[in-house]
Amino acid sequence: MNRTMEVELELDLIRLLHGELPEERARELRARMERDPALAKEYLRLQESWEGLTLPPTAPVPPGFAQRIAARARTEQAVPTPGWVRIAAALALILGTAVGVGVGGSWAPADPVQEEEPSAVDGSLAESYLTTLEDLEP
Amino acid sequence: MGADLPTDPGWDALARVAAGDTGAFTGLVETHQERLLRLCERLLGDPEEARDAAQEVFLKAFRKAGEVRPLGQVYTWLYRIAVNHCLNKLRRRKLVRFLRLETNPEEPGAPAFGLPDPPDTGPDPISALEARRRWQSTRKAIAKLPDNQRAVLILVRFEGLSYRQAAEVLGITEGAVESRLFRAMRRIAQEKDAPRVSRTEGKR
Repeated sequence: MNRTMEVELELDLIRLLHGELPEERARELRARMERDPALAKEYLRLQESWEGLTLPPTAPVPPGFAQRIAARARTEQAVPTPGWVRIAAALALILGTAVGVGVGGSWAPADPVQEEEPSAVDGSLAESYLTTLEDLEP
Repeated sequence: MGADLPTDPGWDALARVAAGDTGAFTGLVETHQERLLRLCERLLGDPEEARDAAQEVFLKAFRKAGEVRPLGQVYTWLYRIAVNHCLNKLRRRKLVRFLRLETNPEEPGAPAFGLPDPPDTGPDPISALEARRRWQSTRKAIAKLPDNQRAVLILVRFEGLSYRQAAEVLGITEGAVESRLFRAMRRIAQEKDAPRVSRTEGKR
């Protein structure tokens, strides 16, 4: 049996397991399983694997769940957000960003190279200090 | 796994919801809350997150009630919203873990499944222990599946949907459902490391 046929046969076994195989093909496959113990074993393996998939019961529905959701829906209904509000909000955001960038740009120094170097000593004071020293020299 | 009815009277309720009838909406939530909460918990692995997710799903349904085309069953439409919502949540979780450089021993973005199991009411402690062991093994196996395979497996195995219904919920073909289920089952079988019997060997 080639690989394609094996896959097709396995698919048929899965379809049979899930009740998705047409009745006539299902009958044929069951008859084939009776003749082929390895095929029957393969079906049993798939069945065990499928039925072995179990999960614990899920949490119960919390009390008042539907009523809480309905209350939220009523709130949404009472305060609808019309399309124009959303568009206006988006425009305001874009405009705000543009204005912010523009204002920020105008506040930036025109030529950062010309910026004065910060000095620890005030120039005028240093000058006067030197002048004083010169005065003291004989 | 029954066949779908062509129409569902639930669509009438949904039409009333679209017209602003919140009483009809409460009825719709009450009808579907149990299965939707269960689905969200199965997908997310956490009851608290599932409650938030189910709430969001119902509110999305409330907002979209006027836009939906009444085809098939109401619950498949709700399931579709729920699956998409939960898978998005899982993707976000995966992204957050990735950004935080966190590692998950199971799979990044996989359902949490970290809460203790509910108390057993089984007849004897040995069978209770066995059930617990199987739950744990199933949780691990499901957590390791890719999102799309996990969703199919949960819909078919735990929600009892047919391939057609699962395809409708996921917006894929029945063939894709089959293929994902097939790959999921193979992966689970590999995980369990069950010895595979070769059919060709058996014919010798």
